[in-house]
Amino acid sequence: MLAPLTSALGIGVALLARGNWLGEDTVERVIRVGLIASLLAALAATMGALGLLGAPVRGEIDYGSWLVVGRYEIPLVLVADPLSIAFSVLAAALTALVGRFSRTYLHKEPGFARFFVLLGLFAGGTQLVAYAGALDLFFAGWELIGISSALFIGFFHEREMPARSAVRAFATYRLCDVGLLLGTVSVHEWLGSTRFSALEGVATLSPLAVTALGGMFLLSAMGKSAQLPFSGWLPRAMEGPTPSSALFYGAVSVHAGLYLLLRVEPVIAAAPVAAALGGFVGIATAIYATMVARTHPDAKGALAHATLAQIGLILAEISMGLTTLALVHLVCHAMLRAWQFLRAPNMIHDAHTFGHHAVHRSTDGVGSVTLRDRLFAVALHRLRLDERLDAAVDPVLALSRGLSTMERRVRGVLSVRQDA
Amino acid sequence: MQLPGGGDAHASPIDRGVARAHVLLPDQGPIGVFVHHNTLHALQHLPFHAAVQQGAALVGARAYLPLEEFRRHFETGRIEADDLHRALDAALGDTAATPVALGLTRRDLWWTLLRHDIDVDDVAGLGFLRQHGPRAHEAMLRAAEARLVGHLRPARPVPLPVRHRDALVALGAGDTDVAVHAELIRLSAVFLDHGQALQAMPARSRGFLGAVAYLFEAGSPEPTSCPGVRDDIRQAVAAGMTSRAVIDAALLALGVDEASVESYVLATALALPGWAGMFSRLERHPHEHVADGRALLEDFLAVRLAHERRAIEASARAAGLPVAWPALRALADAPTTSSLPLDAWLLAGLAREGGRSEADVAAMADESLDALWREVDACSRVARQQVWQEAFEGRYRRQVLDGLAHMRAATVDTTPDATRPDAQFLFCIDEREESLRRAIDEQPGHHDTFGVAGFFGLAIDFQGLDDRSPAAYCPVVVTPQHEVHEAPVYTDRGWQAVRAGLRVRWQASGRGLHRRSRTLSGGAGLSLLIGPLAAATAIARVLAPRWSLAWRDRVQQRLVPRPATRLSPLHVGELGGTTSSRGKQVGFALDEAADRVCAVLQSIGLVHNLARVIVVLGHGSTSLNNPHESAHDCGACGGRRGGANARLFAEMANRLEIRAAVRARGIDIPADVWFVGALHDTADDSIVYADLEHLPATHAADFDAARAMLERARGVSAAERARRFDDAPLGLSPTQALQHVQARAAHMAQPRPEYGHCTNASCVVGRRTLTRGLHLDRRAFLVSYDPTVDRDDRILERILAAVGPVGAGISLEYFFSSVDNERYGCGTKLPHNVTGLIGVMAGHQSDLRTGLPLQMVELHEPMRLLLVVEATPESLLAVASRQPEVCELVVKEWVQLVSVHPQTGAMMHFANGGFVPYVPSPTPIPRVQHSVDWHGRTRVPVAPALVLGAIPAPGVVASMAPDSTLVPVA
Repeated sequence: MLAPLTSALGIGVALLARGNWLGEDTVERVIRVGLIASLLAALAATMGALGLLGAPVRGEIDYGSWLVVGRYEIPLVLVADPLSIAFSVLAAALTALVGRFSRTYLHKEPGFARFFVLLGLFAGGTQLVAYAGALDLFFAGWELIGISSALFIGFFHEREMPARSAVRAFATYRLCDVGLLLGTVSVHEWLGSTRFSALEGVATLSPLAVTALGGMFLLSAMGKSAQLPFSGWLPRAMEGPTPSSALFYGAVSVHAGLYLLLRVEPVIAAAPVAAALGGFVGIATAIYATMVARTHPDAKGALAHATLAQIGLILAEISMGLTTLALVHLVCHAMLRAWQFLRAPNMIHDAHTFGHHAVHRSTDGVGSVTLRDRLFAVALHRLRLDERLDAAVDPVLALSRGLSTMERRVRGVLSVRQDA
Repeated sequence: MQLPGGGDAHASPIDRGVARAHVLLPDQGPIGVFVHHNTLHALQHLPFHAAVQQGAALVGARAYLPLEEFRRHFETGRIEADDLHRALDAALGDTAATPVALGLTRRDLWWTLLRHDIDVDDVAGLGFLRQHGPRAHEAMLRAAEARLVGHLRPARPVPLPVRHRDALVALGAGDTDVAVHAELIRLSAVFLDHGQALQAMPARSRGFLGAVAYLFEAGSPEPTSCPGVRDDIRQAVAAGMTSRAVIDAALLALGVDEASVESYVLATALALPGWAGMFSRLERHPHEHVADGRALLEDFLAVRLAHERRAIEASARAAGLPVAWPALRALADAPTTSSLPLDAWLLAGLAREGGRSEADVAAMADESLDALWREVDACSRVARQQVWQEAFEGRYRRQVLDGLAHMRAATVDTTPDATRPDAQFLFCIDEREESLRRAIDEQPGHHDTFGVAGFFGLAIDFQGLDDRSPAAYCPVVVTPQHEVHEAPVYTDRGWQAVRAGLRVRWQASGRGLHRRSRTLSGGAGLSLLIGPLAAATAIARVLAPRWSLAWRDRVQQRLVPRPATRLSPLHVGELGGTTSSRGKQVGFALDEAADRVCAVLQSIGLVHNLARVIVVLGHGSTSLNNPHESAHDCGACGGRRGGANARLFAEMANRLEIRAAVRARGIDIPADVWFVGALHDTADDSIVYADLEHLPATHAADFDAARAMLERARGVSAAERARRFDDAPLGLSPTQALQHVQARAAHMAQPRPEYGHCTNASCVVGRRTLTRGLHLDRRAFLVSYDPTVDRDDRILERILAAVGPVGAGISLEYFFSSVDNERYGCGTKLPHNVTGLIGVMAGHQSDLRTGLPLQMVELHEPMRLLLVVEATPESLLAVASRQPEVCELVVKEWVQLVSVHPQTGAMMHFANGGFVPYVPSPTPIPRVQHSVDWHGRTRVPVAPALVLGAIPAPGVVASMAPDSTLVPVA
């Protein structure tokens, strides 16, 4: 049960360690202990829940309150059920695996310590997300995942592209986090508690409120899981080192949005409009990503979109209420993609071993334009989603620039007055 | 008229620009076969220093290591004061003592500027330093500032913008390259894709421009940053305009004036060098392009300029700037900022380091200030780097030459052992084999090692048992005339037919798995089916790489064993089936085979006293998850593994009919000599022997002894290699070291399976007596050549014609990739993303990265190859006069040539157009009993030392006690 705390401790030590320069070995050892402890704890939780260690430990486990402000309380509550345990074991195992992989892969890299600290941060975040029994706690873990993800994308910050891509991912996250934040506050206002167990009470709310709640959680999940129209950041996230791409965008982080929806399943079940919207978004993303994955000739870009297609599919499954299938699909998919991403640099080797695609001739483009070619033409540029999104954001940017200019002017006027 | 660097003076400016781009763009082909070459091959007609400086300016790279790096080498003793003094004296010549100002001579000034970082160009950084740094020299700075007011250093010319984008960025407008490159990268990647994407770009057969137009036709949305490009390209192609016409139109619309066209086109091509270079490479080598659609650089430029034009118009319009090039360029001539703080810092620094006072600075006359600035301008950053570079190379050169001289002195009186050797070993000349050869020499017994280019004189198109088509196994400059196939022996033919069928099915399922896991339904189904299996595989492969790989191989060998095979060395014309489907002769005619065997034996001087067992070792390298795997293979085999060549050579030399023909040519291979071919894997240090089932029973014991020797040697050599890996503990035993390197090669996460040619620095062509017993630290290519056998320099000519360009190519590729890893190399491997099976991008969308990755060159000390040849200067000059490429490399000083006189051992170094004698230092070099005593306790490069255990003369060894107090000094 102490898994998140143990790994968080690991991070704490590592963060302290970062102040003065430590060797690769030390940093890696500290984080390794954290990751393995987290894995063991996750396994212990599994056994506990199965009743292998005496009486079964299931349901909510209260550790008191984290913070009490007036009548607002952030409960420190963990939840152990098949869902949380499955996600926690998956995340802990894959993180530990990637940690081992990275020890070799990142040897001698100047950002070695940074990488492992971020990995610890991420591990803590996912365990928190997995076991959180209340939305506030969940949000804390959610943000840890978000920030570590953006920092991994911008890992090679001395080049321009990674920095740009990191900002784009981070901005998308922040925008969509609004959903989770509003959802948390609304749940607290409407249901009196942010505990997931309290969500059973959504049936008492008005259909509009439930739909709104569902919409908010869906928005948040769409951002984290790169669903349309927020898919643009995912291919750009391939700027980081290979193992971080595997862990985040193949395995764990992109699936976190789906986990959120599984967690708030009562809301989705009670909000048919939100569920329908989720299903639509999921299917649309799946089709879009499949098309794009077909056209991309780069290993990581194609894999990212293939992953995205499955995530869209899982989202649709959740929306249709097939939660068990969704969970199994999620876990198996994460395992497959983690491995495929880790061996993405092996592409040349594979081509030698397996031979090229026997026929890789393009259509000759004679005669009328076929549908296949049309799909290629739009998919290659990913529907220009990013540019369209930028165009949508532009007025907001212009507005804030205008406001900032105005503020500076007003300040100028005021300070002149003061001087006088 | 043919201009150097490409181009015909009478051609149109666009033609000239394109022609120059062709030669200046990176010349790296698809990455599956990586061939080392001189990165600045286009400028090889220029003297080395001029070429690196021009090339660096052209492509915006560093010419040499940064000054800070050289100074660090100075601190750590890799360069010593003496080396720097010599290099400086050579650079300044007779004018070194000319006084300049402040009572300082030119030499004083240069020395100060070389050693100290006082000539800075970062105003902001300097401001920060002065505010927050130590204020020790404030008085001197004030004096300098006071003196300089009104008499600043003349402004240095600032490079002018050559493209719209540079000017726009300088003027604060949007960077058009961001959007244009994003378009170009996606389009080029799908057009050049060799089969990685599941769906190929449509209409590639129309060429790049046509295919891009077709995409627009098919509804590809227009990039918002290039408004209008869609119609431009569609109309141009509909109107039947050629790429040239599209380029013309774009240049016209951008208002590029006639005089700037050539440089504009060149700069445009060089702006995205990796992709443009791949177009150019595939245009010039169409057979390397396995996809449909011709790749033409002009098409690429047309698409690029069509996009760029619209992007520039949009960006300029948004920023209120003119589009016409002359007008925009005129605006971008930025005024130079005041350089007073920088100049004062420099002047104060010079005065301080020269031991002058504030008063001396204040009293400086205007004329002496002028003289000072002139001299400082002459002593530019790059001029100083050149001096450092010479010092760096000079140090290593003297170490090696002194080592060779003392080696000779120590063994000159010994008489060679005339008895028959127990075994002989033929290696590739590769410097990675140097430690293996030394480890053999350090073992008791009588044996010899030889070095010969690893294709063993056999230029072949080879098709292995499982290959789909033959590939060239020879230096890239040679086109093989012969094909050799590996075929199952008669009794295994049936099994091979079954196995081949299984293999085809297995490959198809592998491809299918790859493809289907990326589709919607397949992805879902396969996730559920093989997701957990993938996780289990991942865990096994990451946690126990060595064990899991070995286990997989064992199962594979058990279930589908590889059949016994033979090569087809001899042409069997009389039996039919003479030529292959590609029209090449299969196998060699008897005379051809004999010629080749003869040539190799002659060239290494192995013409008498042949041992009963002679092992011929080719080499290659196996690693995983490594797009650059081929770069570790044998350069002499064209970036492939040399096992087939070694096996074929052994097979030929064993054939009685060939031996008879060889005897007729004057070399007697006794009947009791047996050759064995083998492949040495330089990554995991394994040695695999070929055709052992044919080894005569009479030779079993001899071969066992030779093999035991190699087994010991590969462990010792692995331990020597391992000291350079930071994650291997120092002092590994041979067994531990072998396990370590095996784990490296088997590890999916290992970006450094081996360090490749990272340590290359020199090449010794001569008899082994020259180097046997000298610890050369895996830095030297060793080419066997016996000048006493070579009467008319023909053998020497053949060797130098092959070894010169190959060695220089490797050395120079490493030179450039380590001097500027971002520009000439391909940066760190960690974010690499394999694209189109032709190369790697950094991250999700970047230029195609060419050159070597950081992980391959991080230990390299960039210096020109030191080519030491055991031949008289006259012979060398004669050879150079007949071999233009060798001549160019030597005369333009792309390699440092040293002649060692075969009889006297006198050394002459080729410099400034002539040979000058080299006088070795009388200080004896260190002596140790075993190699490990010398290198065992350190990770840095070690200087040459005498390894007494490797010198085959007992009398000499006894008289030379090892100096155990020595600590390795690099």
